[in-house]
Amino acid sequence: MQATAEVGHLETSTGLDHRKLLMWLFLASECLFFGGFIATYLLYRNRSAGPPFPADTTVNGVRYEGVLDIPFTSVSSFVLLMSSLAMVLALAAIQRGDRRGTQIWLLATAFLGISFLAGQAFEFTEFYRGGLTLSTNLFGTTFFVLTGFHGAHVSIGVLILLSLYVMAAQGRLRREQSLNVELAGLYWHFVDVVWIVIFTLVYLLQA
Amino acid sequence: MLELAPVVLAPGVKGFFENPGYLLGTPLVILGVIGVLIALSPLEIRWPQRREIAVAERETKLEEVAEGHPDPAEYVRVALGLGVLELLELVVFYFDALGDSALAFLLLLTVLQFALVAMWFMHLRFDSRLFSMLFVGGLILVAALFMIVLASLGASLV
Repeated sequence: MQATAEVGHLETSTGLDHRKLLMWLFLASECLFFGGFIATYLLYRNRSAGPPFPADTTVNGVRYEGVLDIPFTSVSSFVLLMSSLAMVLALAAIQRGDRRGTQIWLLATAFLGISFLAGQAFEFTEFYRGGLTLSTNLFGTTFFVLTGFHGAHVSIGVLILLSLYVMAAQGRLRREQSLNVELAGLYWHFVDVVWIVIFTLVYLLQA
Repeated sequence: MLELAPVVLAPGVKGFFENPGYLLGTPLVILGVIGVLIALSPLEIRWPQRREIAVAERETKLEEVAEGHPDPAEYVRVALGLGVLELLELVVFYFDALGDSALAFLLLLTVLQFALVAMWFMHLRFDSRLFSMLFVGGLILVAALFMIVLASLGASLV
């Protein structure tokens, strides 16, 4: 039964595994999910009535310092990019039957994901101390909703990665089940490409 | 739907470069059109693929296709490329090296990073075209969303 389930996808009408097809369909829908939030952020960009502002801004002769910390977020972005590398190395390891390598790279990916989340938690805390909340102004609302939902996706990805690590450590993740790691990887890389877009549009394209 | 056309086209050339709806939507539409042409082409035009992977895919043996994924060294090279592109983004941002062209250059670097991750790490370059079609379909819908919502409501990046 197990063997049938593992090779059953070869008999589908498309010749493709339905789970992988479904994952891509899900990712296509996620494009619109994040596209909506990004469009909203851009629509309300530079329309906040009062501070805090994302970048240095002068209003009625009063200069307000921007809250976005580009150097710090650049490091976070680099950490997330490198987590994608760790993820594909985990996939390569399981595809060649390297159990120890799979565990190491899965754990490394999860660790880098947690590091990114820690950075985001620090950033949110700093913003809160600086007077920026979800309801302070249009920037606060659109920024926290966009990056918050992205952070939620990263959190879910970390949970999936840790689950896969536990399965691998218990010997329940074998080479024949490498598709499980590939699907988790697709989700993880998607979260990464969304951040690539967010980093440019929200952080680098400041007024 | 037709009533939207004058609104979307109204900003003209100047508006094109100031409005994120056009700036972000146009590359996505171009990407989408190319993707659809590739997907529907009877000539079996496809993403650039290694010869052995194309052969494996024709035989619809998924295991063989999976074995055609890049080796770890190639993944590391792609990751290095991503790092360099991010570094370039920061150089453009901090040194304002390109003046008015900086906006377009930053968007170009973002598209390159996006494409590297999607084609190598997500294996779109090596996997079935159907996956590319699904993903590009999502991007086309995002492009439509950007162009209609942002263009008609007058958002601005500059």
